[in-house]
Formats: sequence, C-alpha cells, structure tokens
Amino acid sequence: MLFVELVAQGLVQGSIYALVALGLTLVYGLLRILHVAHAALFTLGAYVGVLVTNASGSLALAFACAAVVAGIGGVLMYRLAYQPLLSQPPFVALIASIGLFIAAEEAFRIVFGAQGLSFVNPPLQGQVAVGGGLQFKQAELWMMAGTVLIIGILAWLQSRTRIGVACQATVTDPQMAESFGISLRKVRDINFFVGSALAGFAGVWVALLNNLVEPTMGDVPSYKALAIIVLGGLGSVPGTLAASLVLGVVEAFGTIYIGQILDRNAIAFAFLIVVLMVRPQGLFARR
Amino acid sequence: MKSLSPFAPKLLVAALAFALPVGAAWADIKIGFNVPSTGFAAADGKSALEGAKLAVAEANAAGGVAGQKLELVVYDDQASPKEAVPAVTKMIEKDKVVVGVSGSYSGSTRAAASIFQKAQVPYVVAYAIHPDITLAGDYMFRVSAMGEVQGRGGAKLVQELGKKNVVLVTVKNDFGQSLAAGFKEGAQKLGLNIINEYEYGMADRQFGPLVSKVKADNPEAIYASGYYFNAGPLVSQLRAAGITVPVIGQEGYDSEKFMEIAGPASEGTLVTTSLDRDSDSPVTQAFLADYKKATGAGADMVAASSYTATLVAIDGLKKTGGKGGEALKNALASGSYDTPIGKLSFNDLHEVQKDLQVQVVKDKAFHRHSVIHDPVLLAPPTRAK
Repeated sequence: MLFVELVAQGLVQGSIYALVALGLTLVYGLLRILHVAHAALFTLGAYVGVLVTNASGSLALAFACAAVVAGIGGVLMYRLAYQPLLSQPPFVALIASIGLFIAAEEAFRIVFGAQGLSFVNPPLQGQVAVGGGLQFKQAELWMMAGTVLIIGILAWLQSRTRIGVACQATVTDPQMAESFGISLRKVRDINFFVGSALAGFAGVWVALLNNLVEPTMGDVPSYKALAIIVLGGLGSVPGTLAASLVLGVVEAFGTIYIGQILDRNAIAFAFLIVVLMVRPQGLFARR
Repeated sequence: MKSLSPFAPKLLVAALAFALPVGAAWADIKIGFNVPSTGFAAADGKSALEGAKLAVAEANAAGGVAGQKLELVVYDDQASPKEAVPAVTKMIEKDKVVVGVSGSYSGSTRAAASIFQKAQVPYVVAYAIHPDITLAGDYMFRVSAMGEVQGRGGAKLVQELGKKNVVLVTVKNDFGQSLAAGFKEGAQKLGLNIINEYEYGMADRQFGPLVSKVKADNPEAIYASGYYFNAGPLVSQLRAAGITVPVIGQEGYDSEKFMEIAGPASEGTLVTTSLDRDSDSPVTQAFLADYKKATGAGADMVAASSYTATLVAIDGLKKTGGKGGEALKNALASGSYDTPIGKLSFNDLHEVQKDLQVQVVKDKAFHRHSVIHDPVLLAPPTRAK
C-alpha cells in the first residue's frame, strides 16, 4: 500500500518537473543555452496565478493569464538577454541567465513582499478517495491529467503542424532550415513562448498544492530541471518527460528510505552521477 | 548559487541607505543590527527589523539615552555566515556600534558572535537558538530559550497530552537538529516512544512521500520542527491525507502566515513558543497593540523577540549612560527586564530561564493553550556545563 502511495506521490512530483523541464529542454535543443532563469518564469506564473485567482475568483482565467505572462516574459528574456549573446560562447549566456535569475528573485521580493502570497480561498483542495485507502487532493489529480493533456497537445503540434515541423527542422539544422524559408527568429520566439508558458502553468499548480508562492520558490527547480534535462539526454523531449517521472519516483522512495543520509535534493544529483557513469549520453538519449 | 550574486554588495548599500534615515543627524549612540533582509529568510527578517525599529523609536520618543538619540545601524546578512562576517566587522570597525543585536538565524549569528566577543562589544541575540552562540564568550546574551530546552518542553507537552507514540519530523538545519536533540532527551526521561524519525530540507514544501509514510506509522502525535513556510504546507498535507493526531510545532510556526497557508487545516496545531498573545502582562499587550499600529500586521515571535533583545540593549545603555564595552556587559548581566516575552534575567552563561508558552491555533489565530512550568526540565545550560 505504502509502495503504491509513494509511486503515486512520485508521479505527482514528476509531473511538475516535466512541465518545468520541458521548456528548458526546448531552449537547449534550439540554442544550446542552459536557461537557469527559466525557473523565474515558473515563479512569475505562480504569482500571477494567485493574484488573478484572488482578484477574479476564476482559476481558469488565472491559468490563462499565468501562461501568457510567463510566455511573454520568456520571449523578452530571449530578446533582451540571450539574443545579443548568441555569438558568444555558451557560458556567457549561462552567466547572464544566472544573473537574470537572481535579479528576478529579488524583484519578486521587492514587488510582492518577502512573506509570500497565498490563495484567499484555495481552489481544488477537496479530497478524492481513489479506493484501497489511497487519497488525493483534487489539485493533484487535475495536475496529472492536465500535464498529460498538455504534453499530448504539444506532441501533436510538433509533428502535425507546419510551425511544429519548422521548429524541429531548426533544431536539427538551423542553416538548412533558414534556407528553406523558415524564420529563425519566429521559431525561437515561439519556442521561448511555449516553454515559458509551460513553466508558468507549473507555477500555478505548485501554488495550488502548497498554497504558498514565495520569491525563492524557483531555487530548487532552477538546478533540478538542469539535472533532469541532462538525465533525459540534452534536448530530447521524450527523454526529458521520462527522466522527470523517474526522478519524481526515485525521490519519493529516496526521501523515505535514505532521507537521513542524503537530502531529497541531493538524491537527484546522486542519481544523475550514477546514470552518467553507466550511460554518459543520458538515460534516454537517441544516440 | 547565492555565492555568485553580483547584487549582494549593492543590496548591502541599499540596506544601509534605508537604515540611515532612522537615526537622522543627531544620532549619537549606535546599535548594530544584523538581519536577513534578502534571501530565503527575508520574511522573518522583516518582522525582526520592524520589532527592533519599534523599540528604538519608542526609546527615542521617550528622550533617548543620556540626552542622545539612538540609531539602529542595519546590515543584511542573508541569514548566511559568509555575509554576516563582513557585515558585522563593518558594523564594529566603521560604524563603531556600542552594542549589537542579532535579528537573524543561528548560522549567521554564530559567525557574528565571535567577532563581537573579540571586539568586546556586547551582543544581544533575539531568536537564534544554537548552543554555541553564548559559548562564544561573556559578551554574548540571549533572550530566547535554546533549541534543546524547547525540544525538552515539546516532549513534556506530548506527555501532558497523554500521548506516548510519537513521530519526529525534523528540518535539517541548526534549529531543527537542536530541537530534535532536546526532544529525544526529554522523551527518554519521560518514557515516550519515538516510532520513527524523518528529516527534510529547508526548501521542501511538498511532503507527499513523508506524509504517506507517517500515515503508515500511525503515531499518536507528530513533533515536527520547521518554519511556517514548511509547516503550513506540511500540516495541510498531513490533514489532507486524513491524519488527525495532534501536530506539535515550535516558534518557527509562530507567524500569521502559518494560518494563511494551511487554512482550516491549521486549527488545533500546537506550538511551543515565547510569545503568549493572551498574556495579561501590560507590557505584552502594549507591545502587541503598538506593533499593530506601527506596521498594520500582527506581531509574531520573531518581532517580539527582536523587540525584546533591542529593549534589553537599550536598557543596558541607559544604565551606562550610553557607554559600551565592559560597563555595558556588566549592566546587561545584572539587569532584570520586563518584556513582551516575559520577565527575564540572565544566568552566568547569559541565557534566560523562563516558562515555555504553548499556543494553539483557534479561529485562525494563536491563543493560549497552556504554560509549561518545569524549572528542572527547562533549565538553560550554565557556564559550568
């Protein structure tokens, strides 16, 4: 029973990782930038979600606003911070990204206060008994369903639509794609928008699960999502998804059975080290 | 990652700029105050700063000390030892503060303690609970109960509730470890049975796996250390999983934010702390009212403790006519103080002996549950030990 519960909790956590890491892997696939500041958009989404829900009472509107605001934030980050640095070596953009992230955290603190925000009437807090003594928060079930739905839509967009194919072509060979009339700028904008919107979305889910958004809530996702995309084989979307879920479950068991020796957040990296020793190309890399 | 912060120096300058107007031109007697204004502990830092500012403002409104105004010199230490060392050094060397007050956590306060001791500047600690702080030397003073003492009090509370089988959930830092050590010591003396023990990190907000395991352990009570930002989600998730046994927390829970985060799940949560909101002491009630008036928010344990520590420092300065050094140390050590967190006096290690307040969440607010009075079990350490 405990086993099933731990697996379920791991999948809940894994879904959040998946939403955050997906955007990161899209950016890496396209530009080879380790986009640490991605986690700031996750925090931004969470704040927008709580503020809009408290003001309007509508969670659906909150999700939409959070995704759009985070998406626009992502495009702005790309245009203002990364685009001018594209000709530099990748570590330059990485440093810019770390700087952006720290600045964003302090900006959240100054604008929204250090204490963090909560929902006045937290939605989706009811209990659902799934049978066999298993009990979930409504928000947890919705989140897993929502993650599957979103990823399904994304997969469809990427393989069946013109712009999706253009994105894939750009990842494979930017110069060739450009010579076929694909606008690199447009593809990059869309990628940043979609990836960042997903992070904003994840932020609202986490706000719902914890009923707390704080300036520093992006700290852990900022580096853990990096570990996940390495595990998944850098730039691979299916690999990232699988790595997120596996890591969620490994952490769930790790917290309980080796929590006294290894911190929950260290487990991710211990796991990463073991995997890289056995499969240096990542768990799910195509190569 | 924080070590890469290119903004830290600028933030320090900003913190300073904010601090200066407090004193204005005639400020003569300087009180140093290290506090986490940025970083993960910034919320507690804000409460601490408000508490200290209130104490200084009240003293200045009453005419200051020996005809001079007091000035609070504020430095941001991000609750981190490596930020605290330069901040406190500057405070002593450049600003020439006559006394220091810590409005910060144990990590940074431990680092600051030895610097104050070496410079022979008295240092009054508000709510950092690590044992090493007062061991740094005779210029150290602490107005709150040490972690071990609070932990022993927690065990006593479990016994008074008539429970025996407990699960221990500990936050992995100085605060949590010393509470857990005290709790285990008390549990052994009082014959409690610790079924299982878990640890979690400061950054954790999601406790799904831990909650599942605690449910399987089926305890009669849960002793969980942490801060409101951990405890709010933890208590809410425990209740959501259908665990209804008493949850006992400590002063880290002691913030209105706790009820805001955990919502209805917070009802009935017990905390051992130093601030009794239902106290009939006029000093406590006056502080609660003044704080509310000054800030618009209700006071928490951090605000009350920082106010108290600053008050104690000012009281000492009044006795020495504003002089620091050894005279102030002796004045502080021999004084007795009527404060919002009770009547205090220091023992030979400059720790305070006091009763432990147990508060319970009722109708979205902390109220008095009981008071643990056990001078033997709650005895602070002394110099001899």
